Amino acid sequence: MSRRAGVRFRDLAAAELGKAVTLPVVRAAVAGTVGGSAGLAALNAVGARNALVGGAAGAGLAPPAFDVAYAAAPLGAAGAVVLGVVAMSSEYAASSADAGGGRQVTTTLTAAPGRLRVLGAKALVVALLVAMTAVLAIGACLAVATLVLGDAAAEAVGLREAVLRTAGAALYWTLTALIALAVTVLTRGATLPLVVLVANGSLVSFSLLLSRVTPWAHWLPDLAGRRLYGGLATVPGGPDAVTGAWVMAAWTAALLAVAGVVLARRDA
Amino acid sequence: MRPGLVHLARVTAAELSKLRTLPAVGLTVAATVVAGGSVAALAASSAVTGGAPRDPVGAVTEVVRFVQAGVVLLGVLPVAHESAGTQLRTTLAAVPRRAVLVAAKTLAALVALAVTAAGTVCAMVGGAVVATAPARGVAGEAAPRWAGPGAAVVAGDDLTRLAGAAVFLVLVGVLAQAVALLLRELVPALVATLGLVLIVSPLLGSLTEHARWLPDQAAALLWAPADPVLTPAAGALVATAWVVVVGACGGARLVLVDASG
Repeated sequence: MSRRAGVRFRDLAAAELGKAVTLPVVRAAVAGTVGGSAGLAALNAVGARNALVGGAAGAGLAPPAFDVAYAAAPLGAAGAVVLGVVAMSSEYAASSADAGGGRQVTTTLTAAPGRLRVLGAKALVVALLVAMTAVLAIGACLAVATLVLGDAAAEAVGLREAVLRTAGAALYWTLTALIALAVTVLTRGATLPLVVLVANGSLVSFSLLLSRVTPWAHWLPDLAGRRLYGGLATVPGGPDAVTGAWVMAAWTAALLAVAGVVLARRDA
Repeated sequence: MRPGLVHLARVTAAELSKLRTLPAVGLTVAATVVAGGSVAALAASSAVTGGAPRDPVGAVTEVVRFVQAGVVLLGVLPVAHESAGTQLRTTLAAVPRRAVLVAAKTLAALVALAVTAAGTVCAMVGGAVVATAPARGVAGEAAPRWAGPGAAVVAGDDLTRLAGAAVFLVLVGVLAQAVALLLRELVPALVATLGLVLIVSPLLGSLTEHARWLPDQAAALLWAPADPVLTPAAGALVATAWVVVVGACGGARLVLVDASG
């Protein structure tokens, strides 16, 4: 397989990783996700500490530092969407007319004619980057929350639960990014997937509105996977966390398969 | 009329003509109006199904945040499109006075946004009214009780809130244009504005009361006047101040910095 296509998959993935991490937007998205989440966690922690200091004794239980940090987790889905979208849309963006107005995708496909392998390498790189960002962001949030709350926080969340919840959020972000990648293969431009996926991933979600009309909306990828954010309040109804994760993963696989067929068949 | 004003009017006309002939702009306007109508219909019908009384204006103000994405795109697209290729050079060759260009771009965007916002709010009211029309699904009713053309669907205070929703959308759109002038490129401008109004602002709103000073939350007081500190007019002023400050930075970038840089 690798002999026929001419490029080893490992080299292809390394090349895609190099392209991704040298995109300014990718760097900004990672930095923005980590910094923004940490900032939100800091704000949340200061609010929680003030409530503890200002409130009379017995005003309520102190939240564990992990809970305070974890509240910033939903922000990262937007960063994941950006990573998934620009990994593909940058291939199709025309360079300056002064530089010939070429598109990177022609170079990419000349160097690596196996298009499915290109998509596979891109998906792998996007998944790695997003998972790394998730761990960095939640780690930064936890550090900030622990620093601000200090001894005021309640007993820590157990290591096993903390790892599970971090992994859940990281999985949600990763699947979201892969869905964004697959949709961008279809649209080629960044505008449509960015607007639709960022808007739908926010608190004003079309899927959420749709779920008020038909219960089938709970099986849409973003709503099915929302219980992966363990410990955060969510709307009632729909599948549980594990089923939802499988549903979301199935959506991702199906969309990536469609993207693979389209990428392989359509004129670049 | 003073020659300066004539010049500004002509440049504004040119900018409007660019907006009119950019296919993505027309698509965005159409999609925003259609999305607004459908989302409002969805919200209104689900509220009535849930047993709430008919309230088209309530449904509109409930979902007006959903169409922010459309006006943000409308604000960002033309500026980003012009900076992406060589069009900006042509524009600056034709209009060397860049301050006039910034003013004309803002005026043209205001016109486009006002038309879109008004159309969207009308579509939302229409969608909400049609989706909850009394004749639908009421057993034993022979003919629809159609009040006839010209019957007042909304009046008085509700009308003020609807106009406030339209002004809110215009303010969000102009803010997006200001951000696009500052950042120039499509993806950063789009993500920054959408992230602010759709993600950061609601998250901050649940964490701190000071979130009321964010542009979209201040402007939202126009259709949801429920803040102990800011009146709707003050909220609109706060949002306008945001637009002016960000727009001044963006305008300064266009005026002072190399156009291809």
